[in-house]
Amino acid sequence: MAALGNLSNDQIVTAYRNAVRARTLDLKIINAQRQGIIGFHVPAEGQEMIQIAIGMLAEKDDLIFSYYRDLALYLQRGVPISLIFDQMLANGNDFQKGRQMPDHFSFKEFNFSTVQSPVGSHLPLSVGAAYSFRYNKKKGIVIVTFGDGATSTSDFHAALNLASVFNLSVLFVCENNGWAISVPTNRQTKADIYKKGAAYGIPGKRVDGNDLIASLAGLQEAFDYVRSGKGPYLVEAVTYRIGPHSTSDDPKKYRVDEITDGSENDPIKRLENLMLKMGVVDLNFIQSAKAQAKEEIDRTMEERMSIPAPDPSTIFDDVYEEPSWIQEEERRDIDGSD
Amino acid sequence: MRSLRGYRKRRGGILMAQINMVQSLNKSIDLLMANDERVVVMGEDVGKDGGVFRVTDNLLSKYGEERVIDTPLNELGIVGMATGMAMYGMKPIAEVQFQDYIFPAFDQIVNNAAKIRYRTGGRFNVPLIIRTPYGGGVKGGLYHSQSGESYFVHTAGLIVVTPSNPYDARGLLVAAYKKNDPVIFLEPKRLYRASRAEVPDELFEVEIGKASRLREGDDVSIITYGSMVPVVMSTVERNGVNAEVLDLRTLLPMDIEAIIGTAKKTGRVVIVHEAPKTLGVGAEISALLAEKAIDSLLAPVMRVTGYDTPFPYTHEDLYIPNEKRIMGAIHRVLAY
Repeated sequence: MAALGNLSNDQIVTAYRNAVRARTLDLKIINAQRQGIIGFHVPAEGQEMIQIAIGMLAEKDDLIFSYYRDLALYLQRGVPISLIFDQMLANGNDFQKGRQMPDHFSFKEFNFSTVQSPVGSHLPLSVGAAYSFRYNKKKGIVIVTFGDGATSTSDFHAALNLASVFNLSVLFVCENNGWAISVPTNRQTKADIYKKGAAYGIPGKRVDGNDLIASLAGLQEAFDYVRSGKGPYLVEAVTYRIGPHSTSDDPKKYRVDEITDGSENDPIKRLENLMLKMGVVDLNFIQSAKAQAKEEIDRTMEERMSIPAPDPSTIFDDVYEEPSWIQEEERRDIDGSD
Repeated sequence: MRSLRGYRKRRGGILMAQINMVQSLNKSIDLLMANDERVVVMGEDVGKDGGVFRVTDNLLSKYGEERVIDTPLNELGIVGMATGMAMYGMKPIAEVQFQDYIFPAFDQIVNNAAKIRYRTGGRFNVPLIIRTPYGGGVKGGLYHSQSGESYFVHTAGLIVVTPSNPYDARGLLVAAYKKNDPVIFLEPKRLYRASRAEVPDELFEVEIGKASRLREGDDVSIITYGSMVPVVMSTVERNGVNAEVLDLRTLLPMDIEAIIGTAKKTGRVVIVHEAPKTLGVGAEISALLAEKAIDSLLAPVMRVTGYDTPFPYTHEDLYIPNEKRIMGAIHRVLAY
């Protein structure tokens, strides 16, 4: 078991199961999108293992600002598939009352924050949250994930600088999947992403985000550093976006010269091979894990589809703590009769 | 009873001070910070320097650097960080040194602060005050003079207020602090030290969403706010106009009852603001009147505003609405 470090078989099996569940869910949602059941999806296919690793090392008190492509991270943190579907279907059970596009989750109960579409703009929020944690002597650190495209935003640089100046406990994790929609990382930046912290006095590290063991080992050092109160840390997890940017995107238009389809580096395959080689599981287990995931996900989607949409008049709620006369007037006129 | 500084007196058991808007705001923040540990002040030069207009003077020595935070020069960072703090249990009062510099933070304001309550189904909220000086009249040229209130009034999820005197400055700031939603607190910098008023030495509220009727009158209603309030008041007084004057104080949500009420009473409305005319607050008021009070109007609604140009340096006096232009509009609606 040496190659798997201090991990127990249970931990590995759970990690594997969650990665498989995330992958199965991804494919299911893409299908549902094509059938018009779900409006949109940002697949995390290929990025599961770094997300699982973050989920394994994050403690309950740690607050995570995820981005819109973190499906496996939610599952590893215990978010039930039913809640994922409630948001994706934007039904009446959705915590966010059907107000956000699919994949824009806010699982507060699992100590996640809230996901927005504008790339990178959650990074300054995460710094503020870390300030509040220290100010209020709350346990836990803040972890924030984002893609390679986000490293070009002003928000990224502002956040790194602020986190460093105020010596805040923020772990920045860039999931570098090689692409920001159609723009490859080498057109996003001429520098190594993990070195970008240096300008702000922040240490950085690059890890193989497709390998569970390597991700855990690299992240462990970063977690330890941030947890010890030394300040922020920047991890670049190199991974690969196997699928399109979103269901609205066609990579055939721009990925023509790509030498890989990601399959030789597929993080799930790699973990499978490792588990089989180390004798943690056998082929039967692999097959049954996949079948179980499929059964769970098919059943759950079916079940959640029957939940009706939120009441239309709720679109006027939560603009403010108390609606102003403007929302009330518009609510009265929702059918044009007022 | 004399106080230490000599200019305070007691009224109804409460110390009253003759203070200007800067002093009023400074004391307001001081009282809020003394009262509530969640309140912190952050921004460029707010600490040792006490803010370039001294609104946060002496707070650093009193509350320390964990609560009076000199930040790096980055508005999106200030507002984004403050938004995160507000989401997680604090009540930050963030300063943007000049409203002209708020635009890098526009995405944080419009897409995060204003939408977080809504997008999370009400499970998160952002009790954040963003204070920022606005308007011209201090020879600040293009980039220390703008009146950008419309950008924010156009955004559901924000509250936008602007005081025109030291008393309202205290009351609106306290009311903003009690809101659990983001408040854009626009301070008319030209009025910072323009006048003194008696302000009780305590935390009192001026209700958000309520205009103030500064003057009763029958012939014409003048609806204004912020730095234009004293200009309008002196104009109607010096010219003996029988005008009703409304100081909106809150720009989002506006006091619709007061606006409709005064229009119905006088039938003639002139709106005065310093911001450019096109899609300014005056356009919204004018549309509201057309929708809700057209039967009472005896004349077209007129707007006297800053021009649809960038804010000029040499001729800033030409840009800002003055007595002559306001009287011109009043004459036109009276003669209609």
